[in-house]
Amino acid sequence: MYDVPNSERTVTATDTKIAAKGVQVYYGDTHAIKDVDVQIADKTVTAFIGPSGCGKSTFLRCLNRMNDTIDICRVEGDIHIDGEDIYDKRVDPVQLRAKVGMVFQKPNPFPKSIYDNVAYGPRIHGMARNKAELDDIVESALRRAALWNEAKDRLQAPGTGLSGGQQQRLCIARAVATEPEILLMDEPCSALDPIATAQVEELIDELRQNYAVVIVTHSMQQAARVSQKTAFFHLGNLVEYDDTNKIFTNPTDKRTESYITGRIG
Amino acid sequence: MPASWIFLIVVVLAAAGYVLARGRAMASAGGDQRRLHSLPSYYGTNAAMAAAVPALGLLAIWLIAQPMVSDLYVSSGLPEAIQADAGERSLAMADVRRVADGLDYAVSQGAMTREEAANLSVSANDIRERLGAVGIALGSDVDETTLELAQQYRNLTNTGNTIRTVLVLLVALASFGAAYMMTAKDFRARNTVERAVLILLIAAACVAILTTIGIVFSLIFNTLDFFSRYPAAEFFLGTTWQPSFSGRGGGSELGFLPLIWGTLYISIIALAVAVPLGLFSAIYLSEYASKPVRSVVKPLLEVLAGIPTIVYGLFALLTVGPLLLSAFGNDGVLQLGWMSGGTAAMTAGLVMGIMLIPFVSSLSDDIINSVPQAMRDGSYGLGATQSETIRQVILPAALPGIVGAILLAASRAIGETMIVVLGAGAAASLSLNPFEAMTTVTAKIVSQLTGDGEFNSPETLVAFALGMTLFVITLALNVLALWIVRRYREQYE
Amino acid sequence: MTDATSASAPASQPPRIGSILHESDRTKRRNAAERRFRLYGVIAISIGMLFLAALLFAIVRNGIPAFTQTYMTVQIELPADVLDENGNRDPEDLRKVSTFGYNPLIAAALERTVSEAGIETEITDGSDLRDMLSSAAGAQLRDTVLADPDVIGTTQEFRLLASSRVDGYMKGRVDRESLARDPNLSPEHLDVVDGLVDAGAINRSFNWPFITGSDASESRPEQAGMGVAILGSFFMMLVVLVLSLPIGVAASIYLEEFAPQNKFTDFIEVNISNLAAVPSIVFGILGLAVFIQFAHLPQSAPLVGGLTLTLMTLPTIVISTRASLKAVPPSIRDAALGVGASKMQSVFHHVLPLAMPGILTGTIIGLAQALGETAPLLLIGMVGYIATNYPDGVASGFLDPNSAMPAQIFEWAKRADPAYYERAWGGIIILLVFLLTMNLIAILLRRRFERRW
Repeated sequence: MYDVPNSERTVTATDTKIAAKGVQVYYGDTHAIKDVDVQIADKTVTAFIGPSGCGKSTFLRCLNRMNDTIDICRVEGDIHIDGEDIYDKRVDPVQLRAKVGMVFQKPNPFPKSIYDNVAYGPRIHGMARNKAELDDIVESALRRAALWNEAKDRLQAPGTGLSGGQQQRLCIARAVATEPEILLMDEPCSALDPIATAQVEELIDELRQNYAVVIVTHSMQQAARVSQKTAFFHLGNLVEYDDTNKIFTNPTDKRTESYITGRIG
Repeated sequence: MPASWIFLIVVVLAAAGYVLARGRAMASAGGDQRRLHSLPSYYGTNAAMAAAVPALGLLAIWLIAQPMVSDLYVSSGLPEAIQADAGERSLAMADVRRVADGLDYAVSQGAMTREEAANLSVSANDIRERLGAVGIALGSDVDETTLELAQQYRNLTNTGNTIRTVLVLLVALASFGAAYMMTAKDFRARNTVERAVLILLIAAACVAILTTIGIVFSLIFNTLDFFSRYPAAEFFLGTTWQPSFSGRGGGSELGFLPLIWGTLYISIIALAVAVPLGLFSAIYLSEYASKPVRSVVKPLLEVLAGIPTIVYGLFALLTVGPLLLSAFGNDGVLQLGWMSGGTAAMTAGLVMGIMLIPFVSSLSDDIINSVPQAMRDGSYGLGATQSETIRQVILPAALPGIVGAILLAASRAIGETMIVVLGAGAAASLSLNPFEAMTTVTAKIVSQLTGDGEFNSPETLVAFALGMTLFVITLALNVLALWIVRRYREQYE
Repeated sequence: MTDATSASAPASQPPRIGSILHESDRTKRRNAAERRFRLYGVIAISIGMLFLAALLFAIVRNGIPAFTQTYMTVQIELPADVLDENGNRDPEDLRKVSTFGYNPLIAAALERTVSEAGIETEITDGSDLRDMLSSAAGAQLRDTVLADPDVIGTTQEFRLLASSRVDGYMKGRVDRESLARDPNLSPEHLDVVDGLVDAGAINRSFNWPFITGSDASESRPEQAGMGVAILGSFFMMLVVLVLSLPIGVAASIYLEEFAPQNKFTDFIEVNISNLAAVPSIVFGILGLAVFIQFAHLPQSAPLVGGLTLTLMTLPTIVISTRASLKAVPPSIRDAALGVGASKMQSVFHHVLPLAMPGILTGTIIGLAQALGETAPLLLIGMVGYIATNYPDGVASGFLDPNSAMPAQIFEWAKRADPAYYERAWGGIIILLVFLLTMNLIAILLRRRFERRW
């Protein structure tokens, strides 16, 4: 079984941030997510693990309605954030996404300067009244993403000129600059080398202080290192959801055990 | 023997050669195909190509070269005074050729015997009337020198034709013979044929280079000729365009500026119509439209690109022009009196703009679609609306490509001919009023080269100088646009 | 992670964003901007569609009348003493009577027809009534007599071409007001026309001569047709097809399959992509200078037009052919090479047949583009007024001066007579029918043979 470095940590889920009940997702005729119930706590890192194609990314994209951009995708069931149904007719997905930020698998900085990348969200949401405020927001976001020291001297350089790990941290800075309450991360380290991965993982742990973080990952070690709660998905089903310690040391379900010992997946 | 007969004979020889060589190869292998190096058909093809390709190549070169050689030789017999002037010389030579061709034609029609044609004299026969009788109209009576040179020309042509026939057929036979002798079971026929085919393929690819060279040469020589008759400075800096219609001799003012002004003015109007409409159409079609809408609207827009420009020209002249006139004209409903005739810069520009919409939209559509989906996801993930994403992420990312597309459209607009010939009017003016008639470089190329002017007058040759400037401008725009687009594509590959 | 800890992120800030169920003012504004932006797109597309509709409407409305033509049916006496003074029906003698000699016969017949129909009119003079008919009517009579001398001495029924003004009146293009300033016909004539229509002597029928006929002089728009120009276009397209398909395919095969990556191939590629964007008129200059000035090929000949358009079409064909060759997966080539075929065999036996539908589609589209091209033809002398005679045979079809459909349309558009404008629009319909057919064939080919790997 895995060595869980933060096993001494006690999980203090303050309260439930996201509550999903009976979620079904269809891609055309494919039933991608089957009746998933899950409650995600605030100020906690929750990891979604499971083999490729198990639906973990699909489920993640339901949480900020990114699936809306795909024509053939259909979502059923309830997902509540802070007790409000995010699939309610009155909800504007744009407003929802300001509250639920997202970081993607491949670093995708806009073809703009580092500064403009980070300032993009605050600008469209009208978060700064003047240039000085915007400067502050950009600086604080870059600091929180641990990129300030590397980037402060070349804020006007294009974001695409950074290294892969720096680009991903830039994307994280871009996401936190809009002050979301939840941060969704879709395999944020899969395109990064081990050193960059370590930096981003450390960063995720820091972010836990302010946000509910949900991270999809392929790497079980990573889930064990950064998360407090883990959900195991298999073939569109949520098989097991529990404290990370418990999942990796004493899983209840046979399939979970098979997966983490490397027999499936 | 006429060239078409030689051609046929060579083709027949090649076909016969195929059968013969194939048979010889089979015979050398004792009828067993497996003992041949290559398939039997390769031996046949090898012989057929050997018979046809060099002979037909020689024939083609001969057809082009012989008239030039004859011309050069015969024209040395012209009086010194005429020889000195290129224009006079080409006119005189045209007369000579016409008389010579006319005599040949008369003989072939049976209106004259061969001897009669060879022994004509200016004093004894009315050549003009006799040729007129068989349908060859001459502009003036034939003088002594012309007739003499025409006879000389005929003799040369006749001798040339005989030599041509013999030489081409000899080459065909010799080359076929060599190929036939080589045909044996161990001869690597396939390799030989494939090498020859590769050379033909390369030759075909070189047609593109030859075309460019042809364009450059045909423009350069005539342009230099023009500048030897008309000062370049007056051409490039002149503000009046007033060619005299009397044909030769001075009095023409051939200033380039009013033409390029009209060209640019009309192009700018066209782009002002096409760029916003095309760009917004492309954005809507690639980002908003549902699949069924897109599958109907996109081909419909592209219909606009498939319609020939003459149709747009007629539309400008007969529909848009009168419509604009009824709105902005002297008796127009708006009582503005800006426009005095249906043909105007606005008419041509507007219609050209319509023509360019699909050009801008389909290029921009491709470019917008090549912006990676990750850019859109990143922006949506931050809570941007679709229009914010398009304006602030997609368009900036696609900007270089779109600029390239607009440059290509501009080059189209500058080079467009039929719409301006019919829609813009004929008067060259440096006016600012878009409702006034203007003319363009392309329209003047057409009018100067289709007029009755003599070929070697500055009034005609100026068309080549105009063509040259047009070619240089559009080439520069194209090279720049293609370079930008290519750089843009590399960025996302 | 000193950065992160030093950043003074407030530990417990109140949620910045309120309820997501309630649309904030800012979101409302942003959504309004979104709707506006979307509307711009809809407007742009609507304007584009509107232009297309206006263009097609103009073509159909103005062009359809060209496909019907007004004729007048008249009984004409062909007296022997006028047409054959010697009475021996010798064709040589019959030829001596010019078309003008037939005009009095027509005039007399008209006077009789008008009075028989019981039409009251101030125009009593037959030669004045003659204005209602095309000036080609005399030639029509003469041709009939020359073809069959036996009709001399009898009275025959003729369907004669009405003049363009009468034709225009029948189609609603001409009215009494517009004739007030027209020297060719007076408003009184129209009263006669009305009477003759009631009597059944004037009627309209489908205008085959417009599709099959030749161009006519400027004063006889009612006689002008597209036939010869269609033939000119046909011979030109034959040249383009025969030259551009093999050369284009050969060049594409070399560039796509054999060419090494070097300066020379780069140069060819740059050349092709630039030629594709060179204005068509420059190709006209090239044709004039190279084929006519330099090589002394006959002016205005479809052969020269075809050569010029070939050079213009080649880049289009090369670009589309290369795309279809590229679409054939490398596995096909590997499979052929794997069983011991030479590179040349793998290309000609496997890749080329698979790419053929794409190549043909590209070629047809290139031909359609060439068919509609006008400007280069004007420069090499293929102007409209030349298309007055049918070529005698195939060789003269290539070499005799001729015009082409778009050049014929241009010529008619320049003649500044509304009757010719009608012909020009009608000509456009014919041209578009050809283009539409070619494009449909291309689309069907693509649908039928399109293959996805």
